[in-house]
Amino acid sequence: MNAYLSALLLLSVPGLPLLLAFPALRSRLPRPCHLALLPAVILLAVPAAFSIEVPWLLFGSGLGIDAASRWLLAMSVVLWAVAATLLQAPSGQAVDKRLTVFFLLTMATHLGAILATDLVGFFAFAALLGYGFYGLLVAAGDETARRAGRVYLVFMVVADLVLFEALLIAAATTGDLHFEAAHHALALSQEGAPASLWYVSMVLVGFALKVGIWPLHFWLPLAFRAARPAVALLLGGVPVAIALLGIVRFLPLGEITLPDLGAGIQWLGLTAAIYGTVVGLMQSHPRTLLAYATMVVTSLFITLLGSGLEWPLLGAALQGTAPLFIMTLGFTVAALVAGSMLADKVTTQSALLVTARRVGVLLLALSPLMTVILTRPSGGGERLFAESGLVALWPWWMLCTVLLAFRWLYLLLRRQGETMSAPASMIPPGDFWPILERWFSQSNHWFMSMGLQLLPRWRSSGLAAAGRLLQVRVWQKALDAGERALQGWSLAVALLLLLGLAIALLSA
Amino acid sequence: MTWDSSLLLLILATSLVPGLVIFFLPEERVSLRTTLNMAGAVVKLVLVGVMIWGVFHGQQYETRLPLLPGGLDLVLHADAESVLFVTLSTVLWLVTTVYAIGYLEGSHHRSRFFGFFSLCVTATVGVALAGNLITFLLFYELLTLSTYPLIVHRETEEARQAGRIYLRYTIAGGAVLLVGTVWLYDVAGSFDFTHRGVLAGLDDADRAALTAIFVLLIAGLGVKAALIPLHGWLPRAMVAPAPVSALLHAVAVVKAGAFGIVRVVNDVYGVEFAASLGVTGPLAVLAAATIIYGSLRALFQDSLKRRLAYSTVSQVSYIVLGIAIVGPIATIGGLVHLVHQGVMKITLFFCAGNLAETLGVHNISDMNGVGKRMPWTMAAFTIGALGMIGVPPLAGFITKWYLGLGALDAGQDWVILVLAGSSLLNAAYFLPILYVAWFKAPPDAWPAERYWGRRETAWALLAPPAVTALLTLAVGLLASAPFSPLQWARFITTQEYAP
Amino acid sequence: MGTAVANTPWCVMVILLPLAGALVSFLWPRRSVPLGLVTALAVPACVAGLGWQVAEQGVQRYAVGGWGAPLGIDLYADGLSLLLLLMTALVGLGISVYSSGYFERKTAAVFWPLWLFLWAALNALFLSADIFNLYVTLELLGLSAVALVALAGGADALIAAMRYLLVSLLGSLLYLLGVALLYHSFGSVDIAILAQRVEPSPAVWAAVGLMSAGLLLKTALFPLHFWLPPAHASAPAPVSALLSALVVKASFYILLRLWLEVFPPSDAAVGQLLGVLGASAVLWGGIQALRQARLKLLIAYSTVAQLGYFFLAFPLGTSIAWKGALYLLLSHALAKAAMFMAAGNILRCCGHDHIVALDRVAKRLPLTLTAFTLAGISSMGLPPSGGFTGKWLLLDAALYTGQWWWALTLILGGLLAAAYVFKVVGYAFTPAEVSHEVRVVPVRMEWTALVLALAAVLLGLGTPWLLALLDIGFPFDSGYAG
Repeated sequence: MNAYLSALLLLSVPGLPLLLAFPALRSRLPRPCHLALLPAVILLAVPAAFSIEVPWLLFGSGLGIDAASRWLLAMSVVLWAVAATLLQAPSGQAVDKRLTVFFLLTMATHLGAILATDLVGFFAFAALLGYGFYGLLVAAGDETARRAGRVYLVFMVVADLVLFEALLIAAATTGDLHFEAAHHALALSQEGAPASLWYVSMVLVGFALKVGIWPLHFWLPLAFRAARPAVALLLGGVPVAIALLGIVRFLPLGEITLPDLGAGIQWLGLTAAIYGTVVGLMQSHPRTLLAYATMVVTSLFITLLGSGLEWPLLGAALQGTAPLFIMTLGFTVAALVAGSMLADKVTTQSALLVTARRVGVLLLALSPLMTVILTRPSGGGERLFAESGLVALWPWWMLCTVLLAFRWLYLLLRRQGETMSAPASMIPPGDFWPILERWFSQSNHWFMSMGLQLLPRWRSSGLAAAGRLLQVRVWQKALDAGERALQGWSLAVALLLLLGLAIALLSA
Repeated sequence: MTWDSSLLLLILATSLVPGLVIFFLPEERVSLRTTLNMAGAVVKLVLVGVMIWGVFHGQQYETRLPLLPGGLDLVLHADAESVLFVTLSTVLWLVTTVYAIGYLEGSHHRSRFFGFFSLCVTATVGVALAGNLITFLLFYELLTLSTYPLIVHRETEEARQAGRIYLRYTIAGGAVLLVGTVWLYDVAGSFDFTHRGVLAGLDDADRAALTAIFVLLIAGLGVKAALIPLHGWLPRAMVAPAPVSALLHAVAVVKAGAFGIVRVVNDVYGVEFAASLGVTGPLAVLAAATIIYGSLRALFQDSLKRRLAYSTVSQVSYIVLGIAIVGPIATIGGLVHLVHQGVMKITLFFCAGNLAETLGVHNISDMNGVGKRMPWTMAAFTIGALGMIGVPPLAGFITKWYLGLGALDAGQDWVILVLAGSSLLNAAYFLPILYVAWFKAPPDAWPAERYWGRRETAWALLAPPAVTALLTLAVGLLASAPFSPLQWARFITTQEYAP
Repeated sequence: MGTAVANTPWCVMVILLPLAGALVSFLWPRRSVPLGLVTALAVPACVAGLGWQVAEQGVQRYAVGGWGAPLGIDLYADGLSLLLLLMTALVGLGISVYSSGYFERKTAAVFWPLWLFLWAALNALFLSADIFNLYVTLELLGLSAVALVALAGGADALIAAMRYLLVSLLGSLLYLLGVALLYHSFGSVDIAILAQRVEPSPAVWAAVGLMSAGLLLKTALFPLHFWLPPAHASAPAPVSALLSALVVKASFYILLRLWLEVFPPSDAAVGQLLGVLGASAVLWGGIQALRQARLKLLIAYSTVAQLGYFFLAFPLGTSIAWKGALYLLLSHALAKAAMFMAAGNILRCCGHDHIVALDRVAKRLPLTLTAFTLAGISSMGLPPSGGFTGKWLLLDAALYTGQWWWALTLILGGLLAAAYVFKVVGYAFTPAEVSHEVRVVPVRMEWTALVLALAAVLLGLGTPWLLALLDIGFPFDSGYAG
């Protein structure tokens, strides 16, 4: 394909939504949110895989599409289109301008992240995605939405910091930060240097914050609960998906072996699954249960990752097939959220939503099976797969998801039948994050009061004391007295003669 | 006089001459004054462009005038580092002139203001083009003197106090710098700025004396560069009108101090020699302490300009940190932050000035819903703030990247923690401002609103922050393009470190 | 033309011209102002001629009336005297222009004869080649200065003038005693001859002590400075200018000459004593200046402080140190004259000179305030002013000889100067609580102050030529050169 054309197409996929985010540019266009997806649709229609290099951008980055990211792009397009449709409130009032702006900005960064071909570019898009999604959560929302957004933002900022440090380690190892090149370089550097261990750990921590997996999951239930349907729909397909994609892109899976870390990750995944199931079953609102369901699904993936770190062959396979998993996750969450709209009592019963509910239940229940099928390495690796660590326990995962699916269905149907009950508490006892949050805001208040009241008070009293010292009458009087004394004739003449005598004697 | 030796004098004259003429213009001659201002700025830009072209192709521009006996001349010299700073000052002067014309519309003493404004820019360009320490000192002191009338411009009691404190700090700093310079002259005999340091070539120099001289020089320069504990004047000086705060205290004055430190470490002492003396380590620690302290103090401020002032205190020390970590990559980061911080900070100050001028809003607690009333201004502010936090692909990200990489390269891993902490603190004090502005409901009435029809504010107030915000985006996004500040910083560093 | 210039006895012209001017303006009081201005323009021309002569032909020695030393009066012009003559000429021109706008008719008729007479005496002093002549001219200088101080009338001025008279006479008396001792011991009063004949002996030590004491009193070195602030502050502005800028320099010049050429070399103790007194003057004068409530008193104490700087060269002793002190002297003359002129303008405009009540002078008298600030810049020693050059040279000498405590004094003095200058400037920018009526100030008064202040600030750029001038004759190589 012609170089200019491909460049134009690739650049316009994130570029058009970005441009349309300016209110002035879209005021006359009908359905701007759907229009912005046009380049992406065209790109999907073109069967070839290609990429472009933009050496003067940032540190030399580019955009590209290949077979795997094609699936992701397809899922994204569908999700965004549905979300855009749902964005219009049924009562017909105009959508808040801010919401549209953030919608388009998030879309731009999301699509850009899928198309990114190097570490820095991906990181840039992912960081901006965090800010954009924050806007989506908070714009024209209520107090719970603001709280959810605040927590989300804190997690994103910390995640960005951690990932930045990881990137620095990568950059210290190699100059070329495109995915394959970086993986090779990091793998090579593993011998004798702990750098790659640091790198892997930081990447995992950073993206774990972005994925919302136990124990760094606090924002996910809040977001699910507080977001409006159109935005909650995107939760699985946008922030979580990009984070999972990031792990796969950043880690040199298949090229390094970190058995201890891998084993630890697997146990972490298992624990997360147990936690998610237990707490999820305790929830009484369908949406928050979805958060824990998502966590259970992603925990299987995380466990797979752990085994991938232990057995490189598995890891190499995972690299290629992860996008498929992510795609199914996105659809699962979207379908579930769409289905749960039936309980919100703000939408009418429609066949579409009922279908969505059924599809969602199925997807959720079967997701571990699908995961295993999708990510199974081809050609001779099945046996390895069956033996690889905790992944072999996948039937238990299946049990968890089936339980959760049934519980969700039950809650949904109960809600549909009853009037809206008071929102139940969604934080299980013993979770330490709210305590942390409370402590943080208290210390913040303390700092502010110290800065605005206490410190200035001390400073002014200190200055007043110093000023008093300078003004002290003694000094003034001493200086005045000295000058007056010198003006007396007797003293002056005496000093004069003394001076003459001194000079005479000293020159002798 | 050849073209080579007179170009630099011409560049200085393009702001000196209009400034002197403007002093004598009556208040009512607005258009003449505006024309003089803009003409001077544009001509200077053109000349600087010529100079950049020449320096890139290896042309030597130098002007020498005898000043003191013993071979001490007044030397103006254009090398790669001067070019970096001169370009920054010139471009931002142009933008700030436009802004100042809009901001001071209808206020008193504009002739006096613009006269001293032009003198300030002359002094800044002189600092950038100085070829030895004595010339640097001359223009450094001139900068102090020409900024004082701008601080007290409003003629209130508070302004007078702020001016007094400013002078206390800067004149004392200048005196310390003078002592250091004379002592250095005694010990070393000359101090033309040379690549890799003029002291590095000396065989038997008194190391204790050189260390003491270094401390004196850094102390004298550190006042303007707002290193703790010498930074106390900067928050007080925020009482000046916004264009003054924008250009001078975010760009020119603090940058002159930081630039001086760069010159002393790179071109007087030489980086490796300074490291062998053992002075760069403490300097790095001091810079790191300033970074954290400035950010902490910024958290406590409710006044927007004061929060930005403390942010400046913190950010300028990035430059010093980059220089003090002995390593080429870190030096690149420090040098490029000269440009990046200037562009980002000036955007923020322009926006703060817009808020004050259009709505009478000075405190963050009054800024609820400002984003709805003044979207373009707040958009520019958002870009500047995100740049400060280090969000890619903006300018601040580039700097932190190079500083972090340089720290890893030089084996100083603790710097990464400092950078991380600083980014976290930056996020902690900038993001609440953005949240308040964009996501809170506006009050019924602003403290002192002025209307410009359908526009949110005057053109002259709106265009400059937009331009500098775009610049912030551009220097970050296009960092690897030729002639970007990053490439220029690389160019300087290769000259400094190359054998 | 060149030979005509070379052959004219410029030394004599430089003295005779102002003397003639004084006489003529005494005889024709109505025309005193234009006559005075003409003289004021002619004298710098003569000095220029003399300068050309010295630069071309070297040191000039002229015997008045053809009678040479030891019987007659010799006039001697080397680089040092030339520099001081130049200083006097420039500042004198400025003061003359300023006074032409300052005084009203009656006072002017008395002012011009006295001022021109003082100028003649000053020029003669700088050109004198023997110590007795120095005494005569010093005495004449003192008397005319006293008369000028009393010009303002009023109790304060008269008391100050009386005190000044007594001080002047006392100082001259002590000096005369020293002259007598030296003449008695060595049989001549000529400086060159004395320089050859002088040997240490009790008489010489006594003479040194007496002469130094008397001259230090007249130069108002701490702690003998008490007479200066009242005298300089209560005189009319042009008189204060010429007193601070020129008259006190005369006795310093004499001391310098004697120190470098006549007095036998001694160990460092005397130098250190003078240095200590100078440092104390710098600090005391600076602190007192900061405390003053009236502008003219502030400037007078500033003079006390700046005079202390000159004495820092004595303990340092190198030629660089002397040159630094002299450069400071030159720039101080210009700057202090400008400051007093600025103060006079403010007084004329606002009717008072209380610093705290300076009501937006920045707006009303921008040129004056600029002049004051520029003069202050030179006092502070900021580049590129002459004060900076002098300070640099002294600092260089101090660090070179390892006597770093003088460096500290210089820095502290500069900081104190900055404090009191900017105190005034700060108040001049802000409105006062009570507004006073303003009167118009003649343009020439503002511009003279500004031009002199600009000269002080730009003096640093002319260093190579001026320092080369000082090298002619080079009295700095004797005994105390570094």
